[in-house]
Amino acid sequence: MRELIRLHRLFKPHRGWMRGGLALACVTILANFWLMTLSGWFLAATAVTGLASYAVQNTFNFFTPAASVRFFATLRVASRYGERLATHEATFRLLADLRVWFYTVLEPLAPAALQGYRSADLLSRIVADIDTLNLFYLRVYVPLLAAAVTILAMVLFFAVFSWPAALVLAAGLLLTGLGVPSATGLAGRRAGAETVRLSAALRAEYVDAVQGMGELLTYGAAPALQARAAALQAELIAAQGQMARVTGLGAAAASLATNFTLLGVVIAGGAKVAALRLAAPDLALLALGCMAAFEAVAPLPASFQYLGQIASAARRIFALADTKPAVAPPAAPAPAPQGYALALENVSLRYTPESPWALRHFTLRVPQGRRVGITGATGAGKTTLINLLLRFHEFQEGEARFGGHDLRAYGSADLAHHITVISQRSYLFHTTIRDNLLLAKADADEAALWHALEVAQLAGFVRAQADGLDTLVGEAGIKLSGGQARRVALARAVLKDTPWLVLDEPTEGLDAATEREFLADLAPLLAGKTVLYITHRPAGLALMDEVHALRSGQIAA
Amino acid sequence: MSDRIDPRLMREGRRTRGALRASIGLGLVSGWLIIAQAVLLAQIVNRISFHHAQLSAVSPFLWGLAGLFVLRAGLTWAAEITAFRAAAEIKTGLRAELLARLFARGPVGAADEASADVAATMLEGIEALEPYFSRYMPQMALCVAVPLAILALVFPLDLYSGLILLVSGPLVPVFMVFVGYRAEAINQRQWEKLLLMSTHFLDMLQGLTTLKLFGRARDEIEIVARITDDYRRTTMAGLRVAFLTSAVLEFFASVAIALVAVLFGARLLHARIDFYPAFLVLLLAPEYFVPLRGLSVHYHARMTAIAAAKRIFALLDAPVAAPGEAPVPAGELAIACDGLGFAYAGGKVIDGLSALFPAGAITAIVGESGAGKTTLARLLLGFIRPQAGEIRVNGADLAQIAPEEWWKALAWVPQNPRLFAGSIADNLRLGAPGADEAALRAAAARAKALDFIEALPGGFNADVGEAGAKLSGGQIQRLALARAYLKNPRLLILDEATANLDMESEALVLGAIAEVARGRTVIVIAHRLAMAARADQVLVLQDGRVAQAGPPQTLAAQPGPYRELLRAYEGEEALPCAN
Repeated sequence: MRELIRLHRLFKPHRGWMRGGLALACVTILANFWLMTLSGWFLAATAVTGLASYAVQNTFNFFTPAASVRFFATLRVASRYGERLATHEATFRLLADLRVWFYTVLEPLAPAALQGYRSADLLSRIVADIDTLNLFYLRVYVPLLAAAVTILAMVLFFAVFSWPAALVLAAGLLLTGLGVPSATGLAGRRAGAETVRLSAALRAEYVDAVQGMGELLTYGAAPALQARAAALQAELIAAQGQMARVTGLGAAAASLATNFTLLGVVIAGGAKVAALRLAAPDLALLALGCMAAFEAVAPLPASFQYLGQIASAARRIFALADTKPAVAPPAAPAPAPQGYALALENVSLRYTPESPWALRHFTLRVPQGRRVGITGATGAGKTTLINLLLRFHEFQEGEARFGGHDLRAYGSADLAHHITVISQRSYLFHTTIRDNLLLAKADADEAALWHALEVAQLAGFVRAQADGLDTLVGEAGIKLSGGQARRVALARAVLKDTPWLVLDEPTEGLDAATEREFLADLAPLLAGKTVLYITHRPAGLALMDEVHALRSGQIAA
Repeated sequence: MSDRIDPRLMREGRRTRGALRASIGLGLVSGWLIIAQAVLLAQIVNRISFHHAQLSAVSPFLWGLAGLFVLRAGLTWAAEITAFRAAAEIKTGLRAELLARLFARGPVGAADEASADVAATMLEGIEALEPYFSRYMPQMALCVAVPLAILALVFPLDLYSGLILLVSGPLVPVFMVFVGYRAEAINQRQWEKLLLMSTHFLDMLQGLTTLKLFGRARDEIEIVARITDDYRRTTMAGLRVAFLTSAVLEFFASVAIALVAVLFGARLLHARIDFYPAFLVLLLAPEYFVPLRGLSVHYHARMTAIAAAKRIFALLDAPVAAPGEAPVPAGELAIACDGLGFAYAGGKVIDGLSALFPAGAITAIVGESGAGKTTLARLLLGFIRPQAGEIRVNGADLAQIAPEEWWKALAWVPQNPRLFAGSIADNLRLGAPGADEAALRAAAARAKALDFIEALPGGFNADVGEAGAKLSGGQIQRLALARAYLKNPRLLILDEATANLDMESEALVLGAIAEVARGRTVIVIAHRLAMAARADQVLVLQDGRVAQAGPPQTLAAQPGPYRELLRAYEGEEALPCAN
């Protein structure tokens, strides 16, 4: 419930649309109710009049009710159309807001706090869970409130004719609209949560199947994955089957409640008519009105089922949203750096209070314009040094200064203005080469892009492609070789042109010839820049002014 | 287009013909009971209102009505269950078939598909088929049977009302055919947009660190908003048509009911007709339109299902070469390539390549990027078939050998090994599910992975993060090596296996490879000549064929491509090795 209130608060900016849709939903239900009650009364009243004398027939006002019947018929169609447009428009507007909100809370968490989540799972969250949350308005908010408003109106209308009939109607509507659905909702809650969980697990298996297919096949692990997927599918079907049984029972119970209400209204009204305490046409009015009234509660069973799914999706989304970022954003705007010197004094960093120190009493000075190489074996703390420098992770001890200010005064985004990273994990987006380059400098013109490609020795390759700069790069850059992908990163660095350059294993995974060419093309880029070159390989260290060895989180003597 | 999809979906429906028919039958009976119910209700109201009957006089009708209500509730329940069963069987069957098909196409074929796209098709896409079988198809039957039954009852009662219903009823399907197709095209676009959107989000999340490094992560917020807004616009365009369709349909229905009521009123006023038939027809008129209106709701479900089905059938129909069935010949494996040729859509990569990989020997393949090393490895792995020439394994044609048998005989360490969700131990056991703890430790020790695994909290039970985000590149590489060793293969194919190792571990692993090579055939795609220098034989690839072959010492001593490469590697070779 707390999640739903929080969700509702997120929807605040679109209250106009939300309430408009709700109002139209009420009009639609009531128009149909009047249409049916009036038609029933009209037939019976004309029949009664027809049996009476000509004098009575001539005094009967035929045209007002006849015109009203047509009016309500038209009103119902118009308001129904308006309601659907308004509620869906609101739904999609809310969806855009929800996505943006989710991305906004997710962004500060990367990369530190997100490493525990698999991206397929994240994807499932952002698309499926957000879509589920989004159903809150259309499937819960509108039907519940519209039902509440119209039930009150219809029961009061019935009370004018017969209190017992009104009470039977109220009881029937509440049982069908509230009792049955909340029982089925309760019964379906677990199955709903299971469905969401199992779908996410199944999606992760499918993504594994596509992305890890080579290894799955050669290790003979494909049948195991297929078996796991089949087992998950069986569980999913079981959960959905549980849901279908609950739905079926709910539908049957609702059908019983609806029909027995009709029976009760007919008996209550019939008794009053038989006792001549109610006019004959009013029985037809009550019978048809009762049938039409249930339109108000028809969507409620679905609403209660959605409630379970929505609450479960909301819990997951809010749990992620409430994760603390690994680095608190600086309270004040970042200062302008005085020069670009870096000074680390006795810095210690560990990822969690339980884990071993990744950097321990680490001291390093990089004066502006100096090129410093850091070597070390896997796990010596090289990646941690970058996490520290780029404010991806908080350090616990020591002092770090960048550009004459405490490093803590900067956020990741501020440091990105001054530092370019060429990394072994530079990511290529599944879009054009142009867009991948514009990432580094959004306002770069055509000439600047080609210049960057020339420097990175990639211009020839790009020119040879039919689509040139607009050539698409496959998912995670599959269509470019390792060397070419690295050159895209180089071209990005040329475009961004920052005073600092961090080279994080830039030649990782390249063959020796490609590595040599890459380093040769890199050399002119380093001119006039402050450089930190982190590597476990000796190649390229000759370009550095000084080289330190990192071992177990400390500079080796 | 959709004309060809429907019959195919119906064929899918055959998987579960019994359940499908049962659910349709239950729906029909339930629909007909509504008519019986209306007759009883009209009788009760008529007798009380116009014949001054007391409740006791109509009690048989009241009891009959109560009985019908109970029966209908039971039918409703049963229809729901059978409809779900029918759809469930189809969903399970299709998901398993699609997954098997993906594996049959192999990694090179699958590389054309974005993984998020495939996952969305297999989950949401197949889920979208459910309403087609559980709602749309039963509704089609109801749509014919119930209105016809009502017409059959109304015509004898009142000709005018019968005519009004007869004329207005068929307008519904006719109108739907008229506007339905346009809505279908819009709906198709909406589905593609949804797929595109989930691909975009996966891409964005995977590259979030890169975005942050460029200070661009916050700009993406705008793109998220823009894409969602585009999605809203296209979806609303589709919905506006759909809603207008159903509004027009409702208009027909509402006006027809109003007309029936007004016409009856005029005649009742002059006592030209009895109340009973008038009231019965008024009760039945909305029921006449209910299945027809339902059709427009479920027609939308059909369009979504058709859009999804197109994508599903496209994946199912992707061509797959018939796999061989022969076993792998016994003994140490010697492989001979004879005149191999292979071209991707982009052009020839392997062109007349002939080579020998002697049994029990280490063969290193070297060459510049684009020389065809990766493609040769894919051919040897059986991921792709040579378009010319053949690969012979101890004399047997690789194309005739069952792929599962071939993969059982080999182990492969690719350029970017993938770790799967689960523990370190789960990942090591990928090819040897029964391996005990001691075997895991031995393999890890071989691959120099034992130390870092034991340093992890949880050791072998530590969970690897997404794509091993918690592990360094070198560590992932060594895990992959351990995984390969654990399988004890007859053939080991290493693709740049040492590329991510630092100098110290690289030297250690090179030694371990030599050690593990004993008794098996090893093919290494080498990028460090340190590996090539330890090989028994080196193949130098150039432009898709073997430019030079021989023992590394011999090749190093004579001028040629290998010497050129050696020069490029200079400086590296001079580095000290740990052993």
